[in-house]
Amino acid sequence: MALSVSQQLQRFLRDNAATGALGYPIPFLSTPESGDVWMEHEKLLVSCLRTGDDKGAFLCLERLIGRFGATNERVMGLRGLYQEALAEDETALKQVLREYDDILAGDVTNTPIAKRRIALLCTLNRSSEAIEALNELLESSPTDIEAWAELADLYAARGLFSQAIFCLEEVLLVAPNAWNVHARLGELLYILGSTGNNVHQATVDAIGRFCRSVELCNDYLRGYYGLKMASDRLLSLLDSGSRQTQAPHNAEGRQLSVQCVRQLNEQATLKLAEATRDRTGDEQNRNELVAATRLLSKGDETRVR
Amino acid sequence: MSDPAMQTIHRDPALFYWILIPITIVMILTGVLRHYATVLLATTPKKLTLPALREQRSLLRGINLRNNSSAISTSSFNTRRDYLVSAYKDGTFLKDPENRGKPQGNPMTDPAAMEGMMGMMKGNMAMMIPQTVIMSWINAFFAGFVIMKLPFPLTIRFKSMLQSGVMTRDLDVRWVSSLSWYFLNLFGLQSVFIFILGNDNAANQMAQQMSQMNPSAAGQMFQPGQDPDKAFLNEAENLEVLEHECILNGVEERLLASLKAG
Repeated sequence: MALSVSQQLQRFLRDNAATGALGYPIPFLSTPESGDVWMEHEKLLVSCLRTGDDKGAFLCLERLIGRFGATNERVMGLRGLYQEALAEDETALKQVLREYDDILAGDVTNTPIAKRRIALLCTLNRSSEAIEALNELLESSPTDIEAWAELADLYAARGLFSQAIFCLEEVLLVAPNAWNVHARLGELLYILGSTGNNVHQATVDAIGRFCRSVELCNDYLRGYYGLKMASDRLLSLLDSGSRQTQAPHNAEGRQLSVQCVRQLNEQATLKLAEATRDRTGDEQNRNELVAATRLLSKGDETRVR
Repeated sequence: MSDPAMQTIHRDPALFYWILIPITIVMILTGVLRHYATVLLATTPKKLTLPALREQRSLLRGINLRNNSSAISTSSFNTRRDYLVSAYKDGTFLKDPENRGKPQGNPMTDPAAMEGMMGMMKGNMAMMIPQTVIMSWINAFFAGFVIMKLPFPLTIRFKSMLQSGVMTRDLDVRWVSSLSWYFLNLFGLQSVFIFILGNDNAANQMAQQMSQMNPSAAGQMFQPGQDPDKAFLNEAENLEVLEHECILNGVEERLLASLKAG
């Protein structure tokens, strides 16, 4: 995907050579400038870096600097990205990090650079510093969902699931219809259930999140996958729970009837089977499809036994 | 009023070359010049300091929480609400907490507000000065000429629009005076400017009027002179009275129903 994009580099740069580089001040003789062109330059820069085409990335970066100037915050961020990609060893990365620190010492509100610095800290395996920096960033701009999502990932990687859940909820407060965030939240709740003591409640919540994500995006594979996993666990919990004590009823915890969970489980299995059958040519989601197939065959095995 | 078809005025063709075309060209050139003048005069909006940024975004967080509260569970909502309400009431997020409760100073003395007003003034000046100059130029040189005849009939209502500067009662509405040609150009060259200068040109009066109508839309949460503390207290009140309903209630049944229906 990124490869095919970066292969179009030469053509793209040639086509848009005139944009922005205004030799004469008569605008209607030149191609009109639109924001899209520069967004494309940015995307191209990133995909060039991903495919290792440093030269192409440099060309894109040069264009952007030529248009917006080297002091533009966004361009500074992209330049940092380029430097990070070119850095060969850890000392070079640390040099870049020092540069970021210098820039931030001059201007604390430079968000792109602050974010690059955090990403670089993650690269250097200094995640506690990254978390600290993210908290600082979020203290001053608590509506930055990119930062919240990153913080959620960092917390989840350290096993601090309730903090990660808090961060993802913050993301949902800004983008309430992001189905992938709903599904991710469901996954975190599921994992929280497998580590913590309140398994039942966490699993019920996870099912709710997965249901919401599927409700927002029909045939969302990840949502159905999670729904199946969570409902499987809840069914087994209910089976064992009915023999022992009833699941704890807390005041606001939602309760699900066994029948409802069973139906959800059936539907999820159905949808997963459908997806694995129909979407075999889907290259992008291949890993997820493989995982779904494995989950289904595991379910079959247990049933046969 | 006489029969319009009978009215003929013998115009010197020089009128056409020396009035109609010059006015049009001058109008277009002023538009282009105004565009570049505005671009040159425009100052980049001053960057907000970190506390100001924090103040605005914290308020935005409260608004987001209020608008999208259904996305999170009730307990999570309650925690956040309690935190934000107490923080709002304590003025934790304020840019300058020590100024709290004091009446707002005159917005004229606030340099940041002055900056914004200066920008607006500059825009207005770039608009008004050329207009005044050209109008007086036309008035001085070309007043009272009838320069063109429209090829289609119009009702009498258009008389004041098309024949300003020509004080005759009986002249047919189709005749256009030079001053009116100026006005027609002033308001009718929009599409020409869009063609020449691109879509978001500064010669475009409409865009400028729109931005004057709604200056706060451009990222600025607080208008100069508005007390952020009041906004915070307001938001705290809004949050306190909000009745929370989680969207996850009954989502399983909804999903099952939609799957069965589909």
